[in-house]
Amino acid sequence: MDRNMKILVVDDFSTMRRIIKNLLKELGFTNIEEADDGQTALPLLKQGNFDFLVTDWNMPGMTGIDLLRNVRADPGLASLPVLMVTAEAKREQIVLAAQEGVNGYIVKPFNGATLKEKIDKIFERVES
Amino acid sequence: MSESDEQDFQPLVDRDKRLADARALVAAIENEDDAGEARLIGELTAAYSGTIFDEVGRMTREVHDTLRSFAEDERLGSLTQDEMPDARDRLHYVITLTEQAATRTLSITEEATPMAEKIVDRSTRLKDELAKVAASEADNSRLGSVVESMTRYLEATTGSGERLKGQLTEIMMAQEFQDLSGQLLMRVIDLLEQLEEKLVGLLQITAPVRGSKADSAKVESAEDGVGPQLPNAGENVVKNQDDVDDLLASLGF
Repeated sequence: MDRNMKILVVDDFSTMRRIIKNLLKELGFTNIEEADDGQTALPLLKQGNFDFLVTDWNMPGMTGIDLLRNVRADPGLASLPVLMVTAEAKREQIVLAAQEGVNGYIVKPFNGATLKEKIDKIFERVES
Repeated sequence: MSESDEQDFQPLVDRDKRLADARALVAAIENEDDAGEARLIGELTAAYSGTIFDEVGRMTREVHDTLRSFAEDERLGSLTQDEMPDARDRLHYVITLTEQAATRTLSITEEATPMAEKIVDRSTRLKDELAKVAASEADNSRLGSVVESMTRYLEATTGSGERLKGQLTEIMMAQEFQDLSGQLLMRVIDLLEQLEEKLVGLLQITAPVRGSKADSAKVESAEDGVGPQLPNAGENVVKNQDDVDDLLASLGF
């Protein structure tokens, strides 16, 4: 896994963006950008050569699930690995995210170890 | 229907007329006089339906009076005009306060973490350098004992620095509460807004002078997100990350 890969963290709460960013830094990732909802994230993704997307679900503007759909529908982004980190914990939502092509799903509250485990798993699969 | 309700449904027509109509009805049936039968049934029931209309009228007046007194209740006016917006503002303020506290804590942990990392790095490096000195001065026993106590000290420092780093991460993770509590509060604020709209709408119907926003009740949808679930939220909600992983595994993840 390339520790220099470009990561976009999308969450409407700045506290959570900072937490995820700091955790990623601890894991050795330094090339991290932020967006506060799907609407601001999508144009960044389209022009930004991102390697990995970490997104919340419940956000104003465009939700994480819609962002995921837009990413999968865009030929240039379709294969971008997407990890959801969200407080949305209904079974139907997790199933929906899986159907829409999410690569990993973490429910808040979470911890650094879980984040590391899911990222490792995602990139193990992507690289194999 | 209670007994008193039945008493309210007194027919409008007197007893003699009803008896006469009833006898005429029996006669009409016996004589196979269909037209007469229909007319007499109509007359008999009309005596009662008049009462029903009166009753509906009375109920309508009651509803109207209740609604009017509801609208004239000053408490309701102050509830929609002052207290509910106040409650909303207070909740917004709670969100602001928790956000400020979380941001402050995050800034401090972000500042402190590199210091802890530096302590770990420097003490590790110093220990290595000391080991080299000790190796080249192996025959100097006085230096040897100093090196040994310094090495023990540096090892302890490294350990403390590592623990400090871990604890700072824990403090940082604890700030997650701001996101979760913020989301929950936003939902309560949303509910207050809907309730306020409904009350204002009701006031507008009964006292049209007051202003009202358009009625747009929001329904929670899984699509838009329903926010953090409370503990013991039921079967439809995963309880922890293990549940999520199990569910995804069952879907072939």
